[in-house]
Amino acid sequence: MITVENLKKRHGSLEIIKGIGFNVEKGTVDAIIGPSGGGKSTFLRCLNGLERFQGGSVTIGEHKLTPETDPKRDAALLQAVRRKVGFVFQQFNLFPHLTVMENLIEAPTQVLGESVESARERAAKLLERVGLEKKHDARPKDLSGGQQQRVAIARTLVMQPEAILFDEPTSALDPVMAGEVLKVMEDLAKEGQTMLVVTHSMHFAREVANRVHVFADGFDVECGPPEALFGDPQHATTKAFLQQAGKG
Amino acid sequence: MAHRFAALLALVFAFAVPTLARADQLAEVRSRGELQWCGDQEGGGPYVFPKEDDPSQVTGFEVDLAAKLAQYLKVKPRFMQGQWDKLGDLVKTKKCDVVLNGYEFTPERNEALEPTIPYYVYGLQLLVRKGGAVKTWGDLKSNPGGTKAKIGVLTGSAAATKMEEYCGESNALCEVASYDGGTDTMREVETGKLDATLQDTPIANFYAPRFPGLQPSGAPVGKGYYVMYVAKGESALRDALNEAIVLMTRNGELEATYRKYGIWDGAQSELGSISEMSRFFGLDKAVRADVKKQEMPSAEVVHTEARKHGLAVFKAYGGIMLESAGLTIVLAFMSFPLAILIGLGIAVGRLFGPRWLRIPLAGYVEFLRGTPLMLQLYFLFFLLPEVGITIPAFWTGIIGLAINYSAYESEIYRAGLQAIPPGQLEAALSLGMSRAQAIRRIVVPQAVRIVIPPVVNDFIALFKDTSVVSVVTLVELTKRFSVLSMSTQATVELMAMTAGLYLMMSYPMSVVAQRIEQRLGVSA
Repeated sequence: MITVENLKKRHGSLEIIKGIGFNVEKGTVDAIIGPSGGGKSTFLRCLNGLERFQGGSVTIGEHKLTPETDPKRDAALLQAVRRKVGFVFQQFNLFPHLTVMENLIEAPTQVLGESVESARERAAKLLERVGLEKKHDARPKDLSGGQQQRVAIARTLVMQPEAILFDEPTSALDPVMAGEVLKVMEDLAKEGQTMLVVTHSMHFAREVANRVHVFADGFDVECGPPEALFGDPQHATTKAFLQQAGKG
Repeated sequence: MAHRFAALLALVFAFAVPTLARADQLAEVRSRGELQWCGDQEGGGPYVFPKEDDPSQVTGFEVDLAAKLAQYLKVKPRFMQGQWDKLGDLVKTKKCDVVLNGYEFTPERNEALEPTIPYYVYGLQLLVRKGGAVKTWGDLKSNPGGTKAKIGVLTGSAAATKMEEYCGESNALCEVASYDGGTDTMREVETGKLDATLQDTPIANFYAPRFPGLQPSGAPVGKGYYVMYVAKGESALRDALNEAIVLMTRNGELEATYRKYGIWDGAQSELGSISEMSRFFGLDKAVRADVKKQEMPSAEVVHTEARKHGLAVFKAYGGIMLESAGLTIVLAFMSFPLAILIGLGIAVGRLFGPRWLRIPLAGYVEFLRGTPLMLQLYFLFFLLPEVGITIPAFWTGIIGLAINYSAYESEIYRAGLQAIPPGQLEAALSLGMSRAQAIRRIVVPQAVRIVIPPVVNDFIALFKDTSVVSVVTLVELTKRFSVLSMSTQATVELMAMTAGLYLMMSYPMSVVAQRIEQRLGVSA
């Protein structure tokens, strides 16, 4: 589904990602964990064309992003990639000037040319699925953080992406609200949604993910099924990180 | 290569066409059936000023003169309002045919414009306060108090030049204060802020009844001539006007007109000898023509009425002030939406457009913000015709205001757009929206909500800036105030009326803006 090959990313002289590559298989969930500043979020943003990178490639279906991909010149390519791969942000990024329902139907009506009625119908089902069927006409500012993130997930789902990238979706939430969001994500995983999740939730990585990556210092230092990685970590960085995370 | 040549050719033509198109202005006047003459009502009486009983019409000895001139040319007169120091530009750009508004005959003006023979001989009259310390010219040299006397003059007039020379002499004890209106200085002398004023004899004589506290000091000094000016090279029109002046001098029409306004004096006898002399300058026919010496008219004399006060001012001028406020509203409401559209386009272009577009757009903004609106209007109205682009005064006002304010608007929108977190654009893009869609549907609508207060602020500012359009001959509220206050001296009442009207126009907008803010939920 998503193939990343030897991805490298620099900010000026600062190397953020120093060569990372792996596949995300269809219908599976990959989690990325690791210390702050390890390049997790940047990596995810490269996959969706929100950041350019200096080496390697990202292949999504028949589309390929390379260092030469230009956001202006290759706008159509990027649009095609984003149609296949959705993105959920740490800060939700709901559109504050629109109601919940308007947030959901904006892209289907504008991008897919779907009729408002049809889009509303699908959106209503998704809102029910994330437990917000009573909030159609609410404004984002009137929702709690957990509710906002669930709207954001529904907004991504309404475009029926083949895969969804989650960038620390619960980091801005308190534990109760984080639980609501993780529950929704767990349900999605059970339904076979392909997902790549950068997370601080060890619980999610252990219980939901099919595979876990530990990013540190620009490398994918260790990856494997959660039982192996959590049960018998091989790399010193992984051990240190898990110990730290365990304390937290 | 070929199209570069074509571009060059187009450029050459753009400059050449006006010269080719320059028709004989006299023929133009005849075919139009109208003599368009320009002056500034703000100069006040007795030249051109609003009628007391119908302030939308003008009266004055030059209005009478223009009517007679038109008769000689067998056409109708039409008055055109312009700013006094810009009248020459109006003639140069063919927006009017002739300047007829107390323009002194000076070498500088003769360089740029074509003068007629004089139609009036003016002097400069020193006016002092009755019982004031300064009583004579001599007091300006040896003021016993030892402090410098302050003398008021009209900016750019011959009186100003004369006074500056006089006070520049080593033993002089006076200084010059420049004013924009003729009668302002007379009031200031009366109230004691100035010690004296030097005025052209027509003004000094005409307004004497309005200023009983003033008295003339000595005889007029510094004789000069009022002439009409046409555009350079328009000798046919100049000759036709000269012929009419000679005939009117000889048959007594000039004298009758000047007596009517109380400005005929001994100095005018020189007009006779001037017209006699003009036979040597191609006006032989008019000089020798048989004229019937007109009998003196049965003393139809124009007097300034007593200064109106209080409610009488509101009653007499309320109507015309409202009318002028209407023009202010139309100008503001037509130019501001344009400014918003252009400004939004510029802001989006600068933030999201291609790199090569950003520099010219930044230049546009800086240039328009960094130069006065008045100059921009002047450029549009007086300089564009030089390259063959003529825009009517009304549209010049609209376009000028729109372009000027678009620069300010664009900066507001730029700030507003930059205040939208980048996550908003990213979220829209990640949903598959194109950049244009994301900007138009997600970023701009949010920015618009943020910028409502500063935009309303700008709109109110534009409302008041509409006053600058008087430079392109439009008479809106502020100009009307100046014109009326100059001719009626009812400044306090007119000022109250003007301020009241501006407030009545701008306050509702503040209220509407607050409503919109609340409805859009700007706090989101």
